[in-house]
Amino acid sequence: MRQVSVLFLVLVCLDLEYRITSAPICAHGDAGCHLLSVSDLFDRVIQHSNRMHSLSSDLHSEFEKYFLPVRNQIGRATRKCHTSRILTPNGKENAQRTDREELTQVILRLLVSWMDPLLQFHQSVAHNEELSNFSRNKALELSDMVHELKNGVEKMAEKMQLLGIISNSLNGLFPAEASLSSSASNEARHMRDYELLRCFQRDSDKVQNYLKILKCRIVPEHGC
Amino acid sequence: MKAAEGAGIMATRLVFLSLVFGAMSVSVGEHLTTSEVPPKRPYFVDCRSPEQETFSCWWSAGDYQNLTGPGALSVFFQKNRDVWRECPDYSTAGENHCYFNSTYTSIWIPYCVQLRSQIQDIVYHQMCFTVDEIVVPDPPVGLNWTLLNISQTGQHFDILIQWEPPPSADVKKGWISLVYEPQYRAINMSDWKPLEVERARYQSVYGLKTGMEYEIRVRCKQTASEKFSEFSDHLYVYIPKVPTKETLFPFTMILIFGAVGVIIVLMLIIFSQQQRLMVYFLPPVPVPKIMGIDPELLKKGKLDELNSILSGHHTFKPELYNDDLWVEFIELDIDDQDGRSNHSDTHKLLGSENLNGNCLNIKDDDSGRASCYEPELPDSDTLDRSQAEAREEKASLLDSEGKAAHSSTADPSPPGRSHPGATAEGASRSHPQIQSQLSSQSWVNLDFYAQVSNITPAGGVLLSPGQQSKIEKTAEAHSSPKTQKCQLAMTTDSAYTSEMDAKNISATPSLNGNEPKVTVSPYTVSEAPASSVPPVSDYTTVQAVDSQQSLLLNPSTLPTKGTPMPAGYLTPEQLNSIMP
Repeated sequence: MRQVSVLFLVLVCLDLEYRITSAPICAHGDAGCHLLSVSDLFDRVIQHSNRMHSLSSDLHSEFEKYFLPVRNQIGRATRKCHTSRILTPNGKENAQRTDREELTQVILRLLVSWMDPLLQFHQSVAHNEELSNFSRNKALELSDMVHELKNGVEKMAEKMQLLGIISNSLNGLFPAEASLSSSASNEARHMRDYELLRCFQRDSDKVQNYLKILKCRIVPEHGC
Repeated sequence: MKAAEGAGIMATRLVFLSLVFGAMSVSVGEHLTTSEVPPKRPYFVDCRSPEQETFSCWWSAGDYQNLTGPGALSVFFQKNRDVWRECPDYSTAGENHCYFNSTYTSIWIPYCVQLRSQIQDIVYHQMCFTVDEIVVPDPPVGLNWTLLNISQTGQHFDILIQWEPPPSADVKKGWISLVYEPQYRAINMSDWKPLEVERARYQSVYGLKTGMEYEIRVRCKQTASEKFSEFSDHLYVYIPKVPTKETLFPFTMILIFGAVGVIIVLMLIIFSQQQRLMVYFLPPVPVPKIMGIDPELLKKGKLDELNSILSGHHTFKPELYNDDLWVEFIELDIDDQDGRSNHSDTHKLLGSENLNGNCLNIKDDDSGRASCYEPELPDSDTLDRSQAEAREEKASLLDSEGKAAHSSTADPSPPGRSHPGATAEGASRSHPQIQSQLSSQSWVNLDFYAQVSNITPAGGVLLSPGQQSKIEKTAEAHSSPKTQKCQLAMTTDSAYTSEMDAKNISATPSLNGNEPKVTVSPYTVSEAPASSVPPVSDYTTVQAVDSQQSLLLNPSTLPTKGTPMPAGYLTPEQLNSIMP
């Protein structure tokens, strides 16, 4: 009962906020805007994605040392990742030219597509005796982190939609993502651990950079 | 049989030969391969993207000197496993560089570059990567420092260093996130000291020394990467030493006050412990001890003890019997020479009242006589009290064979002494005084010495009859029964006699020497035997102690005329004559 009441209050407040603000999209430096809360959300999410990316990089290098001792630049294992199908902006200019909504969507797609494979990875690592405890603990964290980040980005997207920063065209995409991710996860099962981690490192880097670009566009800061 | 043997032999030979040839070929082959070193082919040195928007690759011609010129080698790249295309820009980045601008650069996409010869289409080297892997940022710029503070001593200072991110990296939009690592060192040192790797564009450096010049540099890298950039330009920091008076002043004051405090404490210690320190540092020189007088006694006013000490010397004849008359009665008799040394023995034998049990057994050493002395007791008390003691001491005296000749015994009651060897003068002198003291007593024998005439089985000691002359004088004054008692009393040591006299008077007249109470009896020579008893010498050697605990003495030489009355031992003949 208590939780419900709190939730109700929160929703009411949110609703009130929505009603009070007349302008759906905040202009630069408007005092009445609620960009501050969005900014905080962005900061939190970006922090989370930074941490996720550094964790994945560490794990990847460790796994490579373990399972691929000879690191040769020539003919490196450039196996395609299961997320290759997802179209992502591959440069700064490209990312800047992309719509906010699309960018948000891309981020969410990436995150969703990694949830299952990382869960499988979690299970495989848990039974792996060769890894050190340190590596194993880091690996076990990954799946949780992706989950949390995905939730955070979703909430942020909802907030932005509420505030009218982005349009409501996102809603229809989510069911489609589920189907994509299932086939992708099947592919991921066949990859080796270090390959998986390499793919994830790349994708987490993408997510991190996209979030930053998005923030710069939505929350105008000095120099952005 | 023979054929089989021949075939076997052939087979072994063949095998052997084949082995030999194989080894030879292998060795030849090895020899061939190791003798030559193939020339180093042209190769890609590295590919680098400074800001994750462009990248460039550069190569080296290796040992192929003819390929060093421009255009000798070409670079082809493949993007995302697509078609191979030639390098778009050979010049912007410099010689042997291939530059890919932002249109050709895609992040997170696999690239492969190949180093090919210009003409022959030989692929010398191939490299595959993704651009996000090869990001190595430019060094930071704009390094400067500001002074935070200088320590109070002026020896150290802290600074804050600041820098700017490399201009090529777009950190504002967050396309690249950098972390920085500053380093510093003193100029004459060789090791650089790294500081923390942080995202902030400033850091504080603490504990730098004034008067020393320091060098500072910064480098950066991407957060998740391991590749650091080159170092920035060096920054030089220097603050001259400024010794201020204020810095010196407190130190000197502290030193002065500290020294003064320490001195005061030392003085206090010395003054409080002066005596002990004096003893410790200047131990008293051991003074040679003179046997005899202890100056402490004089201080304490123990005249009786002193009396006894002095009585041990030849030159002194104590004639005092209580403290009041001490000064009046002291007379040194120089003529009395013989027998003075017997004083102590006599005293023991007679059993002065205040014989201290401790003293009897102590051998006389030169430690003075103070140890033997008890706190002085009043004369009357000792007379009554020490009666029992006297008996015991007499017994012990008899047992011990004349030891401790000089251990003096406390004799605070001068009246107890019988002085056998005293000259007539001395005796006569002492008599009237003693008589005045002891009115109840009729004997006049106040001499220190008395000669033991006999020893009873009961352990009593009989005084020599030599005293009788004096005794007889006073004996006439008394009634017969009393006389007997008096006589009994008279002949003894004054101390004992006084007591015993009183007892004898009060008690039933019994001159039985065997009564234990009447200890005087042994001493008495009740019958006034003729003074035919020859004077006995003061000293007689004890021959033996019979079963009855009586001493058997050797007959001693007769004393010459003028010798004082012996306070010595009786011969058995004398003993027999004396005994009733």
